[in-house]
Amino acid sequence: MPTSELRTIDEINEKIRKGEAVVVTAEEMIKIVESRGIKVAAKEIDVVTTGTLGAMCSSGAIINLGHSDPPIKINKAWINDVEVSHPGAAVDLYIGATQMSETKPFEYGGGHVIEDLIKGEEVELRATAYGTDCYPRTRLETLLTKNDLNQFYLLNFRNCYQRYECATNSRDEVIYTYMGKLLPHFGNATFSGAGELSPLTNDPNYETIGIGTRIFLGGSQGYVIGEGTQHNPRNQFGTIMVRGDGKKMSPEFIHGASFTNYGTTLYVGIGFPIPILNEGLAKKTSICDDDIFTEVVDYGVPRRDRPTLRKVSYKELKSGKIDINNKEVKVSSLSSLKGAKKIAKTLKSWIDDSKFFLTAPIERLPTDTVFKPMKLLSAMPFVESIIHPAMTCKEDEKVKSVAEKIIHHSINHVVVVNDEGKLKGIVTSWDITKAVAEGKKDLTDIITRRVFVTTPDEPVEVASRKLAQHNISALPVVNQEKKVVGIITAEDISKLFKR
Amino acid sequence: MVKVLLKFSDKVTDQPITSQVIKEKGVTINILSAHVDQQGGEMLIEIPEDEAEGVIEAFRSKGVKVELRRLIEVNKEKCFDCGGCISLCPVNVITYDAEYSVVFDEEKCLGSTCALCIDACPVRAIELIT
Repeated sequence: MPTSELRTIDEINEKIRKGEAVVVTAEEMIKIVESRGIKVAAKEIDVVTTGTLGAMCSSGAIINLGHSDPPIKINKAWINDVEVSHPGAAVDLYIGATQMSETKPFEYGGGHVIEDLIKGEEVELRATAYGTDCYPRTRLETLLTKNDLNQFYLLNFRNCYQRYECATNSRDEVIYTYMGKLLPHFGNATFSGAGELSPLTNDPNYETIGIGTRIFLGGSQGYVIGEGTQHNPRNQFGTIMVRGDGKKMSPEFIHGASFTNYGTTLYVGIGFPIPILNEGLAKKTSICDDDIFTEVVDYGVPRRDRPTLRKVSYKELKSGKIDINNKEVKVSSLSSLKGAKKIAKTLKSWIDDSKFFLTAPIERLPTDTVFKPMKLLSAMPFVESIIHPAMTCKEDEKVKSVAEKIIHHSINHVVVVNDEGKLKGIVTSWDITKAVAEGKKDLTDIITRRVFVTTPDEPVEVASRKLAQHNISALPVVNQEKKVVGIITAEDISKLFKR
Repeated sequence: MVKVLLKFSDKVTDQPITSQVIKEKGVTINILSAHVDQQGGEMLIEIPEDEAEGVIEAFRSKGVKVELRRLIEVNKEKCFDCGGCISLCPVNVITYDAEYSVVFDEEKCLGSTCALCIDACPVRAIELIT
């Protein structure tokens, strides 16, 4: 415990019981500290409330169905066509937020099932099993609401990031990510987290947060049950694992969501009450957006370690515009700032009304864990390991001469370059066949100008995805000056993976 | 200014209709966005209010479908004000109000000729009116 302890959790709870606790939101705390100083604020304020309402993919719910007669030991199950897993015994199921519907993928998923259950709607359960002597049933179909379930607990293994990156995209195409839709050439940027209202940001050393901390979760009271997976305190990327009763939650603070071409997820509303046990906590809870920083990261680079472009404050992020490479870029929040404010205010009103009491954590969140990358057994192959020289031609060549090159070298792709060796287009054997059929003689009539390319340092896996996505069979390899240094084909890639 | 959506079918794309209307009527037309190829397409234009009737009539007489209407519908029941759409709008239709509610200035919207925000909404609250 810090030396200058002002009050204990028990003393705060006694004040809450009498309706005398002084509770403010993290936003209000900033103003109080600004106008009256930390000492006065620490003396007068008992609790500061926080909030965030963001997309949290590592969310889900555990449900127990009760037993059918004859009983079934579920092997596979679906709710509203979303596969739900069976982590436990016969009739316990886990609804993962990112698991997608088999009939409406990318539009409906586990997150939506959880929202529908919370709303009180009826969901359709299908299950199959192999049948045992004690659980003979092999098929089951039924309709359920949350009231038919024995337990319906939201059980999220990573929520509530302390802060998160701001995402943007350097590529020349739109990309769809878990950070939303990112327009080409840094056309926009997105961020997540409520900044000065964010729960973990207001207690960055986890003095008051750990196993057993009672929190606002999805419109009801829930608990922190430990640090979240990938908890990364040294980098201020702390996370929490939470549990709360889904039957008591409100659809206002839980939203199933679909991120186009990425998948489904769940928006979860979370708020912490932070007891002002000492002056240090008064100072920490008065942190404002100007002093909370994160990094602008290029999601156009599909690697684990994406390039960081700059540091940015939440103040700048919330202004709606940030500067990237001297260009003004529109930026928007993916998490609801309105929702975050509402959560902090709701939690404050619960405490004011003596409906919510604070708990001291049994064990604080760790401050020294390390978030390691995945251990892999083989090195990742890069494009440079399968690159070979490209057959090139100039724009002013005749179709016939390019056709001869294709036949002579038994290839399918000729890369069109200018005098400096820079990429101007591509011609395939199919283009040549078509030109012959249509009587075209000039190469300029048949060149494909918009060419997808790769670079020597790109992972083969990424290049392979480009081929599949655009339904093409080769990629010219270019260096930083856009000069053609070779080519890779679908054939090269299949040979590599056959090794 | 009146904003109208012109719909060109594949039967009229070989005619220089917009130029003809501009020359005939001697008006200035502001093209907000356009997406027309040989298969047809759409163009969103702004016309001065007092010229609107004549211009619309001229386009219609040349076989162009002209529509005056709202271009998007925002389902306020579904929207929970995340704001993910804001940075995608090229014409600042979408903003926060003082309470951080997401608000749409539908007058300025480019509708189906833009549609960048539609598939970015995580709860599919924005719909094009077709």
